[in-house]
Amino acid sequence: MSRIGVFICHCGENISRTVDVERVAAEIGKLSGVAFATDYKYMCSDPGQNLLKKAIQEQKLTHVVVAACSPRMHEKTFRKAVEAAGLNPFLCEMANIREHCSWVHENREEATVKAIDIVSMMVERVKKNRILPGITVPVTKRSLVIGGGIAGIQAALDIADCGHEVILVEREPSIGGHMAQLSETFPTLDCSQCIMTPKMVDVANHPKIKLYTYSEIELVEGYIGNFQVTIKKKARSVDEDKCTGCGVCMTKCPQKKIPNKFDQNIGMRTAIYVPFPQAVPNTPVIDRDNCTWFKTGKCGVCKKVCGPGAVDFEQQDTLVVEAVGAIVVATGFDLYSIDEKPKGSPIKGYGEFGHGKIPDVIDGMTFERLASASGPTGGKILRPSDGKEPKQIVFIQCVGSRAREKGISYCSKVCCMYTAKHTMLYHHKVHDGQAYVFFMDARTPGKSYDEFWRRSIEEEEAVYIRGMVSRLYQKGDKIVVMGSDIAVGVQVEIETDMVVLATAVQPQKGADLLAQKLGISYDKYNFYSEAHAKLRPVECATAGIYLAGACQGPKDIPETVSQASAAAAKVMTLFSKDKLEREPIVARVREAGCVGCFACKKVCAYGAVEEKEIRDRQGNLIKVVAYVNPGVCAGCGTCQATCPSKCVELDGYTDEQIIAMIEAL
Amino acid sequence: MKKKKMVISQETMDVDFVRKVEALSGTSVRRCFQCGKCSAGCPMATFMEHPPNRVVRLLQLGQWQRVLAGRSIWYCASCETCTTRCPNKVDLASIMDALRKLSWDAEGASKESYVQLANKLFLQNIRTYGRQYEMRLAAVFNVKSGQFLKDLMLGPKLLAKGKLKMFHSKNKNMPEIEKIFTRIEEMRKKGEAL
Amino acid sequence: MKELNYSYYPGCSLHASAGEYDLSTRELFKALRIGLTEIPDWFCCGATPAHNVDELLSLSLCAKNLELADKVEGDMAVACASCFSRLKTAQHVLGESDVKRKQVEKAIDAPVKLDSNVKHLLEILAKDLGLERLAAAVNKPLSGLKVACYYGCLLTRPADVPNLDCAEAPTIMERVIEAAGAETVAWTHRLECCGANFTLSRPGVVLQLTNAILESAKAAGADCIMVGCPLCHGNLDIRQKEIEGVYSTSYGLPVFYLTQLVGLSVGLGADKLGLDAMMVNPMPLLKEKGFL
Repeated sequence: MSRIGVFICHCGENISRTVDVERVAAEIGKLSGVAFATDYKYMCSDPGQNLLKKAIQEQKLTHVVVAACSPRMHEKTFRKAVEAAGLNPFLCEMANIREHCSWVHENREEATVKAIDIVSMMVERVKKNRILPGITVPVTKRSLVIGGGIAGIQAALDIADCGHEVILVEREPSIGGHMAQLSETFPTLDCSQCIMTPKMVDVANHPKIKLYTYSEIELVEGYIGNFQVTIKKKARSVDEDKCTGCGVCMTKCPQKKIPNKFDQNIGMRTAIYVPFPQAVPNTPVIDRDNCTWFKTGKCGVCKKVCGPGAVDFEQQDTLVVEAVGAIVVATGFDLYSIDEKPKGSPIKGYGEFGHGKIPDVIDGMTFERLASASGPTGGKILRPSDGKEPKQIVFIQCVGSRAREKGISYCSKVCCMYTAKHTMLYHHKVHDGQAYVFFMDARTPGKSYDEFWRRSIEEEEAVYIRGMVSRLYQKGDKIVVMGSDIAVGVQVEIETDMVVLATAVQPQKGADLLAQKLGISYDKYNFYSEAHAKLRPVECATAGIYLAGACQGPKDIPETVSQASAAAAKVMTLFSKDKLEREPIVARVREAGCVGCFACKKVCAYGAVEEKEIRDRQGNLIKVVAYVNPGVCAGCGTCQATCPSKCVELDGYTDEQIIAMIEAL
Repeated sequence: MKKKKMVISQETMDVDFVRKVEALSGTSVRRCFQCGKCSAGCPMATFMEHPPNRVVRLLQLGQWQRVLAGRSIWYCASCETCTTRCPNKVDLASIMDALRKLSWDAEGASKESYVQLANKLFLQNIRTYGRQYEMRLAAVFNVKSGQFLKDLMLGPKLLAKGKLKMFHSKNKNMPEIEKIFTRIEEMRKKGEAL
Repeated sequence: MKELNYSYYPGCSLHASAGEYDLSTRELFKALRIGLTEIPDWFCCGATPAHNVDELLSLSLCAKNLELADKVEGDMAVACASCFSRLKTAQHVLGESDVKRKQVEKAIDAPVKLDSNVKHLLEILAKDLGLERLAAAVNKPLSGLKVACYYGCLLTRPADVPNLDCAEAPTIMERVIEAAGAETVAWTHRLECCGANFTLSRPGVVLQLTNAILESAKAAGADCIMVGCPLCHGNLDIRQKEIEGVYSTSYGLPVFYLTQLVGLSVGLGADKLGLDAMMVNPMPLLKEKGFL
């Protein structure tokens, strides 16, 4: 006969306001098998937990039900307390009378009756709970970092500095990401490359970091502590071991007019190229789509001039498998484009700003490349159309961002600050020029940020005009900006030489596909979802996978670096133990009844179901049945629902238990 | 003028005028971030077509003609509430002073004549008599503004209470006052003062 | 105890429409044994009209008066809030701007003197004399008189210039009149503008602003209003009857200068306080309270 203890929590007034907790305790106390029932103001508090422990010992309780909040909130807390009192933690269940009852009802009588029902059901269920032994799994103390921008670099360096091996995978030929493209950074105006390149070199030289550039994630298998990741190394056509990075191939390549993506396509590069001079690694790649050899089979100049013989036209894409225990996703962002979008796309372009067809209407990243000393214009602000210096320049904030009708409702967070920075850079470079900014709000919530913005107006003479621009159009070699100043309440018209659009920050293209490979969730914009917006901001709901940087939402550099270090700290916490304890809520197969149809294997999303041979004592094969690997099983219960012969059961959620709960009603 | 579209360029933004305002008022126009607190507390805002914050905004855009064409600056009471409460230390009361000063020489300035007339007569009185004599001031104002009957009923009452002095006392500093007026006029002619 | 002596700058109004302020100031200071020597041949500070249209003139007039005051012993005692504000502002601006100081020195053909202390009468009573000595001199406390202290604009604003008291929550008037035994009322409009600048040119504006002030004082249960500025007094007292007519209401609030009320408390008679010059007759109130 079980001796069940039931503890009803008031949760301050969260529960007791609508539920008569004393009556619940009294009613539950009458149930068969219940040896003790009481209520308390805060069960999760220290005195509350002590009350529970004391009752287990004094009342010789065999099972415990805590009627309080959601198990997501405090199940761990109470199971720990139960364990401390000497009971198996899985003999403790929570009845949710807060989220499922007091918070959603107003009528006290009805809510009380419902709470009694909920607790009664859990009492019946806990009676049939089994002692579950803990499951431990080994931890592979190597980490995968996806993305080689500042977020990935920071996370990789932090983890590697702690002595753990890191596999850093970058899609582009060089690490560096968007930060390497920036000219100067707010709010201190230090040169982005000057602070970025030393970190890139640190990555290249770090004995614990294994760098895969020009590579992509192909497949992710396994679970926390035990992932197998297949990486596709795209054919570089240059042998990384032989190449010395001398650059002769690039100077000799006859294909010199290929728009360089790193320079936002305003600068040109050769077919064999490194995206920028400070690239890490400094090994070129051949852009096969534009290479004469690959298009016609003729040329091969690079191969001829290469002293070490590193150029290899025969190189193929290769697949590499790496075993890691944790994954940091740091795939960063991409910028919204105002181009016309396919019909039906939730994201729309800006016809009123010319759909990207007016040559001197550029985006913020293009302006960064113009302003960058190592950029295609050597740091001069020049118009893409005719190479003239713009004497009037208009910046427009919130293009794409905060525009529900255009498909994006969020604020991109960095544009106010980088636009302020752009006006300063412009003022430093074009002394007789005038910058105008059309803005709705100036959002500057960071250390020294508002002061920076004010400086752009008060000292660097930018004219800010509050109000969104209605339309832009080309008129001769000028662009006419039709706006309004809502502080004055009149329409404003500016004939300008150039327009810079602060376009929205979006996740990288293909972010959703990568998420599907990783088994992590993402929002409607494809930003990756954190496990808890406030309390678990760098963890995914999928165990062992962590987030860093703008792939989770728009972020500036300081915030990205902080989050990357936080993700690294989470990885190191995981690596601090040799074995990982897992919740033993896993499926078990009743082998006697299993007919070996393997319907369960087909539906298991985690690959936890294996085939197991049953042999007699003589070793003759009797049958093949399903076996659930407890280290891999996530306890989702899909197999249980699928099994036609009812031979798979999830501990804690067996059919018997569910029926008992229903019967309690 | 009020509703007319504003065409903005380096030519239409009169930075020189704004610099004069800043020099005279000793305050920066660019500091203002348009929070509107000045207009919120201004006792005269309801009488103005451009409330105080908009006066500053128009100056930021170098559009002083729009400010001076209106009567806003003449309806400022110089109560200093705006200056006292500005979170950015923009001395708007002094900006208003500067605008009124500059409007004397500016083209297209408002014909809000009563306040200008009162100010002018007040200063003339100082120059002539060294001190203010309210009755003389009021009488001349009424004659010059064509409001002969304004406050007519008040006069005798005030006289009865001894509040209106008919005669002014001698002041031996009179030549010195005249000199101050003359010197300032000369300084302006020579461009030594705004 | 050190003897208190001041150079006295009455300002134009006290020699005209605010004669009772001048009279009561002289009599009160005599009663309190505070020395008061009028600056010989002082002239107008320029008031609001000067700074409104010609800051250089305004600064020069003030600088010249400061120079005249310097020749008389003691700090400068100023009765009018507007004169006080102009003189303090001039000191502030000339102390901060070398350019403006040089222009003014040229205009007055003399070095600018910035070190003299310009004090409003309230400051002399509350700080130099001190509330304890003031209270000790009271022999007819104003018990039961509910006073609405009206600061207006220029006694306290802008925050860092007059330095008389806190610009947003001053208490100096209340402290002085409470030392004289009166009660003070808490009311909403003690710092609002009466529109003095428009007395001549736009009386309609004045009526509207002043009406709001009178209405607030009445609603707070005040028996009377106390001011430290002849311009405020002009609007609140002289125009009160007109306002009552325009807004079809009745206030009947006597408007005293602070020196008149303090003077009453130290035993000065109606003739020495110029009470007969007030447009709203204070006699019924003072008799009812038993002060006369």
